[in-house]
Amino acid sequence: MNQCWRDLAISCALICCTNAAAQADSPTGEQLYDIACSACHSLAHTPDHHIGPPLGGLLDRPAGAVEGYRYSEALRNSGWRWSLPTLLAWLADPDTAIPNNAMNYVNPMTAEETQRLG
Amino acid sequence: MTSTLTRRLLLQCSLAGIAAGLSGGCAKHLSGRKVVVVGAGLSGLNAALILERWGFDVQVVEARERVGGRIWTLDALPGSPEGGGNVMGANYGRVLKAAHDLQVPLRSPPRTLPSDYFVDGQRIARDDWALAEANPLPDAWRSIPPSGLMGKLNASNPLLQTRAWQDPKLMASDTSALSGLSALGFPDAAIRLIGANNSYGNNLDETSLMSLYRVMGEFGRLSGPALAVKEATKGNMRLPEAMAGQLARPIEMGSPVKAVRQSSSATLVTLASGETLDADAVIMTLPIPALRRIDMDLPASQATLLDTIDYHKVVQLHCIVEAPFWESAGWGGSWWTDNLLGRIFTRPIPGTTRFNMTVWINGDDCDALNAMDEVTCVDRVSRALWDLMPDAREVTSLGQLVRWSNDPFAGGVWALWRPGQAATAHAALRAPAGRVFFAGEHTAEAYRGMEGAMESGERAALEVMRLLA
Repeated sequence: MNQCWRDLAISCALICCTNAAAQADSPTGEQLYDIACSACHSLAHTPDHHIGPPLGGLLDRPAGAVEGYRYSEALRNSGWRWSLPTLLAWLADPDTAIPNNAMNYVNPMTAEETQRLG
Repeated sequence: MTSTLTRRLLLQCSLAGIAAGLSGGCAKHLSGRKVVVVGAGLSGLNAALILERWGFDVQVVEARERVGGRIWTLDALPGSPEGGGNVMGANYGRVLKAAHDLQVPLRSPPRTLPSDYFVDGQRIARDDWALAEANPLPDAWRSIPPSGLMGKLNASNPLLQTRAWQDPKLMASDTSALSGLSALGFPDAAIRLIGANNSYGNNLDETSLMSLYRVMGEFGRLSGPALAVKEATKGNMRLPEAMAGQLARPIEMGSPVKAVRQSSSATLVTLASGETLDADAVIMTLPIPALRRIDMDLPASQATLLDTIDYHKVVQLHCIVEAPFWESAGWGGSWWTDNLLGRIFTRPIPGTTRFNMTVWINGDDCDALNAMDEVTCVDRVSRALWDLMPDAREVTSLGQLVRWSNDPFAGGVWALWRPGQAATAHAALRAPAGRVFFAGEHTAEAYRGMEGAMESGERAALEVMRLLA
């Protein structure tokens, strides 16, 4: 399966799971991504017009590693690798997770919503 | 606009429709809940578009006959100068994304001409600033031009985290910019020069030093692939206009809100015309001076708080210059002064030999000007301009006076925080009151200005979705 089809399959699975859970958990992960992330990050794999780095293929990627994107020195030298736990820690408070990062962001989600998004 | 809107909705439905067999697709998100958004500035438009994307029935109401709020391009003047929000920062991700998606062309702004100075009645050429006798700055600072003072102050910025500017622990020691500058040895003349051109307080005594550090920290935190500031090529108003064009339901223009009343099950928005709109939730995006004019059911503490927030005063006189009168005297074309005129920003009008020149007056110096009728005010400012630079008179025409404090739907340009005030006031002001939610740049936490407005619209949309899910 090539990368595009794999991503599509994962997306469908995520949407399926998100919507199945939506009756009880709303806003859904899809909605939360739209509100809290999508203005600055795309799901592409290479830098584009968004000001934040692309999130495609994020999991297991070293932090600050997308070529062609200007990261803060703090993030680039953090030694972080993106996983569900590191992503949740980052989203909870980026400034605490990696001080002096470049993402000027206040997470509007509750802790439970952040978990749902992750 | 209609065809774009239809395509957009169809696209959203088709994306959601990937899982249609499993979840019912687009119809799943059509909750049918009604939301009234008060104010068609960036915060209101962003909130409305998010809610519409997820199936809410949104009605935006706007008091003015134009959208954009405190983005206001003066389209009638050559060069279409900005009377309101004028810079899209390089880190304004939401603003830049909206412009990209809506195909609003952006450009790097024409370069503002270099500044010379008028201090204590004396002209100081920019190249002579460091050694000029009239330079009022302390020795350690005198080589820095006035426009660079904040950058040097930022070296001691104690705010290391995005939200630290409202952290009660730090706010407890927040002091005024006046006492901060006095402690650094700035004499009265230097304080007068800085105070006349301070964009973050109406006077230095009431300017929070932490608020200044917040501004500096935000400027210093640029990232991303695009580092240069931008503006919309045909005027920044084109962005809110394009956003408004995406809404499914037309905005009710020229419809000031008179009252917002809540019952146990609904909220009633009464317009000045007498028309009423019932809603399941309301987002109030108005700046606080405009919010004060609306009859609302708010907790007493929140209502009282509204009366304590000041807004920054700005008076602008926009002029058109036919020829660069400054060149023969060796001036740069822009000026910083310690007198009534404040700053004078001049930039070329692309594709012409003319220039936009804006006299930009800040803070309490605006009080007397705001109390005058328009003709008297223009006369007062222009006389000061001709006194300072007589050569300008023959080649300069007066374009438009902008007085934000006198605009009943704005009441100033942005919210100000007095020393220590943000620690408690900011969270209280953005807190929902029943089914009424608040957005607008004054409620944003990470950014200010246009991006802060967009940020606040996201947060308010999320709060409404939680309520009405």
